[in-house]
Amino acid sequence: MLRPYVILTISMPRLLLLLPTTTYRTAAFVEAARRIGVDLTVASEQPSTLEAANPAGFLTLDFEQPERAADAARVFAKQYPISGVAGVDDTSALVAAAIATRLGLKGNPVHAAMAASDKYLQRGQLAQAHVPIPRFVLQNLEDDPAAIAQAITYPCVVKPVRLSASRGVIRADNPQAFVAAHDRLRAILQDPETAAACGDRARHYLVEEFIPGYEVALEGLVVNRRLHTLAIFDKPDPLDGPFFEETIYVTPSRVPAGLQAAIRDCADRAVRALGVVEGPIHAELRYNEHGPWLIELAARPIGGRCSAVLRFGDTGVSLEEIIVRHALGMPIPSLQRERLAAGVMMIPIPGAGTLREVRGVAEAKRVPLIEDVQITAHPGERLVPFPEGARYPGFIFARGETAPVVETALREAHQRLTFVIE
Amino acid sequence: MEAAEIRITAEPIDDQRCKFVVSTPVFAGGVRRFATADEAQGSPLAEAIFAIPGLAVQELIVSGNLVTVVKQSPAPWQGVGRAVGVAIRSALAAGGQAVAPARKPAAGDGLAVNDDQLYEQVAKVFDEQVNPMVARHGGRVELIDVQEGVVMLRMGGGCQGCGMADVTLRQGIEGMLAQLVPAVRGIVDITDHTTGANPYFQASKK
Repeated sequence: MLRPYVILTISMPRLLLLLPTTTYRTAAFVEAARRIGVDLTVASEQPSTLEAANPAGFLTLDFEQPERAADAARVFAKQYPISGVAGVDDTSALVAAAIATRLGLKGNPVHAAMAASDKYLQRGQLAQAHVPIPRFVLQNLEDDPAAIAQAITYPCVVKPVRLSASRGVIRADNPQAFVAAHDRLRAILQDPETAAACGDRARHYLVEEFIPGYEVALEGLVVNRRLHTLAIFDKPDPLDGPFFEETIYVTPSRVPAGLQAAIRDCADRAVRALGVVEGPIHAELRYNEHGPWLIELAARPIGGRCSAVLRFGDTGVSLEEIIVRHALGMPIPSLQRERLAAGVMMIPIPGAGTLREVRGVAEAKRVPLIEDVQITAHPGERLVPFPEGARYPGFIFARGETAPVVETALREAHQRLTFVIE
Repeated sequence: MEAAEIRITAEPIDDQRCKFVVSTPVFAGGVRRFATADEAQGSPLAEAIFAIPGLAVQELIVSGNLVTVVKQSPAPWQGVGRAVGVAIRSALAAGGQAVAPARKPAAGDGLAVNDDQLYEQVAKVFDEQVNPMVARHGGRVELIDVQEGVVMLRMGGGCQGCGMADVTLRQGIEGMLAQLVPAVRGIVDITDHTTGANPYFQASKK
C-alpha cells in the first residue's frame, strides 16, 4: 500500500512590474525585487529579446490600452499567478490600476489613476473638493490664440494636459507672450510621438493662473486610503518661468513646521479628492501668503533617478523596496526617512546640440558630501532644452548633516561640470 | 619627472556595490576576484581594500582599469568610497605589482577545473542563445571570466547603457544560466554603461 506523503511547495509572491523601456528606474526596482527575493515579471511596452527564454519573467503589454493590457495580464496570471502589480510612471500607473482592478489586487481604481495622470480631470476634481489650486480653463489647440489671449488674465501658465517633467509648460505675462507660448506648445504636441502618447489630449491644453510662491514636492505612500508623508523636498531655485525646468530637491524641508503640516494636509485632501487609495504619490505644491496650493499630484513615485536620495529606517531601505513591499502586502520595515539631509540636482540642460563630452565629473565627485554624479546622456546624444525637451543630462546626489550644506555641495559640484556640445 | 596623476572615479551601483574607474590600468591579466582577506594576500591593492576599517568587504573584482567592491557595511559610499580610492591610489603609487596574477590551477584542483568547465558551458550559452537574441537590438554580451562559479561579463553595442540592461541581465541572462548552467553562483556585470554611445532603449521620461 502506498503511504500518504506531503509535498510542500513554497513559492515566493510574484510582482508584475510595469517598466516602460524609457524609464530611469529599471535598476532600482529590479534590485529592490531581488533584495526582497520575490519572483519578478517585468512588463514593458516593447518585447525583450530574451522573452522566449524566460516566459515567466517577461511580458509585453500595450501601455496605451490599459484595458487590453489588463486582459493580457489576466491571461498571463492564469499560468503565473500574480500577487501584486506596480507601475513606475504616469502611464504605467494607469495600466497598473487597470490590472489591479481586473485581478483583484491591491491598487488604485482606474478613475483615480486616470485623474492623477490627466491634469484637466485632476483640476476639476480638486476644485470640486475645494482643494486650493490655480484657476484654470481647458482650451482647444486649434482655436485662435489671439482671441483667447484677449480673454484671459496674466500672468498665466500654458500647460499640456498629459505631458510630465514640465515639458511644454510655459509662462506668459501678456497676450503677445501667450500667442508665442501657444504656438510653441502646439509644435510640441504635434510631434508624432508626443501626439501618440497624449492621445485625444494632444488637441487640448490648459491655461491656468500663475501662482507666485515657493515650491516644494511631497513624496508619499498611500496605505489603505491614508497618506503617509515620506519626505518633503524644498526646491530652492525659483520656478518663475518662462519655463519650469527642475533643478535641486533637498530634504528635510526648511519650511516652518506649521506650514509643513498645512502642506501635508493639502496633499492629503488632494489624495482623497482624486480617490487614490494605495501606492506612491508625488505632489508638487506652492505656498505663499494664502497658504499651500496644489500644483500637481501624480500616483507614482518621484521621477528620474531622484529616488536614490531617499533612504528609510536604520538599514537604509530604498523607496523602491517600500513600493514593492507595499504592492505585495509585505511588511514595510520603516517609513521614517534617515536622519541625514539629502539632495539631488537634476542637471540643467546646458544648451541645444549634440553632446560630445562631459568634463569634470571626477572633480565634481570629489566635492565634499557629494555621493555620486551620474551622467545619463550619452556621447552623441542630441540635447534639447526646455520646454521642448525634458531629458536631464544627469543627476548629482549629496548627503550631509543639514539641508543648506547639501544644497551648497550640489551647486559646487555642478559648477565643476563642463558639457562639450556641438 | 612628476608621475602622472591617478584619477579614480567612483560609480556606485547600489548601496552594496560600487565600481571604481581608474585612469590607469590596475590589472592587465584578465579578471581577479577576491572573496576573503586571505585570498587578497600577495595583492597589495586587494589587501589594502580588505583592510579598510568598517568596510566589511564581501567581494572585490579587479579587471583592466575597473575595481568593483561589494561591501556588507551600511556606510554610504560617499564616505567609504574615498577610503577605497586612497587604497587604490596608494597601491598603484607604490610601484610594483598591485594585483598578483591568479594562481595557476594545480593538477587535480577541482575548483579550477570546475571554473574552466563552467566557462565553456557559459560561453556556449552566450554564443548559441544569448547573443543571437540580444543581437536583435544590436547588443552583445561578452564573457570575461568565471571565478569560483561567478560569471563576469561585459555588455556592448545596444546593451551598453541601455535603460533595460538590468532587466536583460537579471530577468534574462541570469535566468537562462540558472536553468542551463545551475553551478553558476552569480553574475557580475563589469560594463561601463556610462560610455555606451548607442543604447537601444534610452531613459527619457520623468
